[in-house]
Amino acid sequence: MTAAIRLADVHKRYAIGETEVHALRGLDLEIERGEYVSVMGPSGSGKSTLLEILGCLSQPSAGRYWLHGVAVDEVDADGLARLRGEAIGFVFQAFNLLPRMTLLENVALPLLYRGVNRSARHERALAALARVSLEHRAAHRPGEVSGGERQRAAIARALVNRPSLLLADEPTGNLDSAHGLEILTLLEGIHADGATVVIVTHDASIGARPPRRLAIRDGQLEADVRGVA
Amino acid sequence: MSPLESLREALRLLRAQPLRSLLTLFGLVWGTAAVIFLLSWGLGVRTMLDTAFQRAGKNLLQTWPGKISEDFSPAVDRRWLWYTVEDVAALRERVRESDLVAGETRRFATAAFRGRALSLEVRGVEPAGEEIRGVPLASGRLISREDVVHARRVLVIGQRARERVLGADGRVGSWVRIDGTSFQVVGVLGRVGTQLSRDGAEIDDQLWVPLSTYAALWPNPWLPVEMLNSILVRARDRQRVDAAEVEMRRVLAERLGVVAEDEEAVPIFSPVKMLRRLPVEQQNGLNVLIALTTLLVGGIGILAMMLDSVQERRSEIGVRLALGARRRDVLLQFLWEGIAIVAVGGALGVALGAGGALLLASDAFRGRIPPALRDLVPVPELSGVVVLLAVLAMGVVALAAGLAPAWRAARIDPAETLRVE
Repeated sequence: MTAAIRLADVHKRYAIGETEVHALRGLDLEIERGEYVSVMGPSGSGKSTLLEILGCLSQPSAGRYWLHGVAVDEVDADGLARLRGEAIGFVFQAFNLLPRMTLLENVALPLLYRGVNRSARHERALAALARVSLEHRAAHRPGEVSGGERQRAAIARALVNRPSLLLADEPTGNLDSAHGLEILTLLEGIHADGATVVIVTHDASIGARPPRRLAIRDGQLEADVRGVA
Repeated sequence: MSPLESLREALRLLRAQPLRSLLTLFGLVWGTAAVIFLLSWGLGVRTMLDTAFQRAGKNLLQTWPGKISEDFSPAVDRRWLWYTVEDVAALRERVRESDLVAGETRRFATAAFRGRALSLEVRGVEPAGEEIRGVPLASGRLISREDVVHARRVLVIGQRARERVLGADGRVGSWVRIDGTSFQVVGVLGRVGTQLSRDGAEIDDQLWVPLSTYAALWPNPWLPVEMLNSILVRARDRQRVDAAEVEMRRVLAERLGVVAEDEEAVPIFSPVKMLRRLPVEQQNGLNVLIALTTLLVGGIGILAMMLDSVQERRSEIGVRLALGARRRDVLLQFLWEGIAIVAVGGALGVALGAGGALLLASDAFRGRIPPALRDLVPVPELSGVVVLLAVLAMGVVALAAGLAPAWRAARIDPAETLRVE
């Protein structure tokens, strides 16, 4: 069985104004299906860039990336969109719910782009909200619910397509510790159901929870630790 | 994402900020309304002028006695020329592009009825001339062939002349004295209205008597023949007005012994030619150009709003891309959004422009115009073609205003918008 994620000598450079940032400098990494992994590192270490590449939101400047055995650099733009929509679920620090839509509509968005019909969208989005205990908030807009509820809705949105890979970027960064724990418990439940889960964080207490912990510094893998911390 | 869902999405976004949407739409609404209203108005103006110029006869060509011009004759021969009934007969026979020819005479005379006396224009007419004028009767009959043959003292009276001469108690059968001679009223003409092209008084103010009666009562003191004041020639249709004029000029020049090119010797006037010289189409073209410019300015407003909206919603676009939207989905979403906005504004504009045109064309509005002016206030002519033209122009604006922002939205780099600062 092929690995969920395989990176071979991945580099990423991009320009911010006139300075060139070398965010990733030769990263080799393999993550098996169903693994639960944390990525830690100080800010500017390249961990968010890594997540963007894993999520097919940007392409490596050099090196290669295989997602479930598929070489991502060989996939066309529509194929990448399909990968993002069907194979990957995103959870962001800032939740990134669309403010003008209800939670239900937000959760249903990935289904919309897959061409699922209206009634099936409604049903599946409601089921995903139920999974995060938010079905009673379905008709509310993000501005009308608490931060913890927003992030739960964002998780429901990431879940709605039953992705095999869940990527979370500082998912608890904007939450207090009680709500943060609630979110982590949800993510761990998704892992227990079989999905590969990768959490990027700079919070040591969160980073210590998964059985496999990566540390990144200056765009390179500094540590790859397995086993209970 | 299907177009229907993109559209629903776009309408939701329009509703989200109703005030901003409305302000942005104003230019488009006004521009569309202006295109529709001014096009309808322009068509109305054309009809109004056409009608007002041709009230004294459709496809009419008219000639008056002329004078040999210096350009075509030695200085010694600067004769005044005149027309007679023989000229009418010659034209009737030889101008193939015409179906009716008639002679006419006119003078001012005093019309008296029951102590009222007014100076009015009296015309000597024949049935062909009455047919050319094409005036409907209000009551009685027109002057007939027999009236002319027997030089009867009968009178057909114009609508306003009837009110002024006969008053309330006058009717067909009344006797009116014209310069001392009694005439019996046999017919009353219907209202003709304002004539923008006329030879003397308006038909509403005229008194018609048979041409022969006129000649017998008021002979020309200087000439031994019956002189006509003018000859009326009707072209078979509007397209043949020019051809009829050429024939008419050739026949008359030959009979008068003058050069055919001498327009002073044979002056021919035609309302159709006059209409052609009016810059109606140019004015209409200019109006539509101004209206289209307004529409364009409205389009620029929408372009600005859409570009703004794309900039504001960069992270939204990033999220959508991260959730599986293809670039095409984003492009279509914004394109549909632009089209939806233009459609909403366009619908309001069509309603406003068409509403305005229909209002000005309504009986309720026409009734408020003073009767003296009514003939000269155009009735806007709203048609499907006019609306279609406006909708087409709007479509172009919609594409132009929607495409650039949509293109920009579709090229956004999702990774960049999702990075937390």
